[in-house]
Amino acid sequence: MSDSTRAPAEVRITHVFDAPPEAVFAAWTDPDQVAKWWAPDGYEIPPESVEIEPRVGGRFDLVMVESSGTGRFPYRSEIIEISEPELIVLGAEAILEAGIEETVTRVVFEADGGRTRMTITSGPYTDEIRRNAEAGWVDLIANLEKLLAA
Amino acid sequence: MPTDQLSLTFAALADPTRRGILARLAQGEATVKELAEPFAVSLPAISRHLRVLEGAGLITRRRDAQSRPTSLRIEGLSEADEWMANCRAVWEGRVRRLDAHLDAMLKGETDE
Repeated sequence: MSDSTRAPAEVRITHVFDAPPEAVFAAWTDPDQVAKWWAPDGYEIPPESVEIEPRVGGRFDLVMVESSGTGRFPYRSEIIEISEPELIVLGAEAILEAGIEETVTRVVFEADGGRTRMTITSGPYTDEIRRNAEAGWVDLIANLEKLLAA
Repeated sequence: MPTDQLSLTFAALADPTRRGILARLAQGEATVKELAEPFAVSLPAISRHLRVLEGAGLITRRRDAQSRPTSLRIEGLSEADEWMANCRAVWEGRVRRLDAHLDAMLKGETDE
């Protein structure tokens, strides 16, 4: 999956870290490190719940637990592509009861001096969207809402 | 909104003909015949697309007229948009925490 075939049906976030790509990549593949930053606010990740097999076809699984409550939200994904220290692509399974969609998250790490530019793209790729890389529905939504608000 | 409904919405939006139909409906209600005009497809094909859009909650079809005029249901799009906004917020939070984590790591403060 190259940038030219990327559907615009996704979230895209870029951030520059004051750390080399090796350190940022390790923060994504070392279970103890992932447990420290992956959970949304109000959630914790028991380090023992994190299973990462850093190879194509390997698992990237963890469980997010409500800090003040009993909610448990698993994140289960397969590593689709991995290349240390520049790329990791995760295909997450839909978990219907937790309201989690099937998504593909692509993370690119680029060296920038001693720093790292990380670009995350994440989207709800159904099989149909995968086949139709020109989905373009984000633009469509924006355009339609503009039209209707007018 | 149930997750399977959201999947239906994303799948419905993944087709260029269906997006064309939605763009046309943004200008106002239309009949099947009017919707079919810009596309090189048959009326039954357009009807199939309309069934997909209706199932995804993106359009409504009036039942009180023979021509079954179709109109856009903006709530369907808002729900998909909201899902994407939530997804963005989660990832922005992760990036902030990863940044703080890496800062702490490099300063040797993570070995509690």
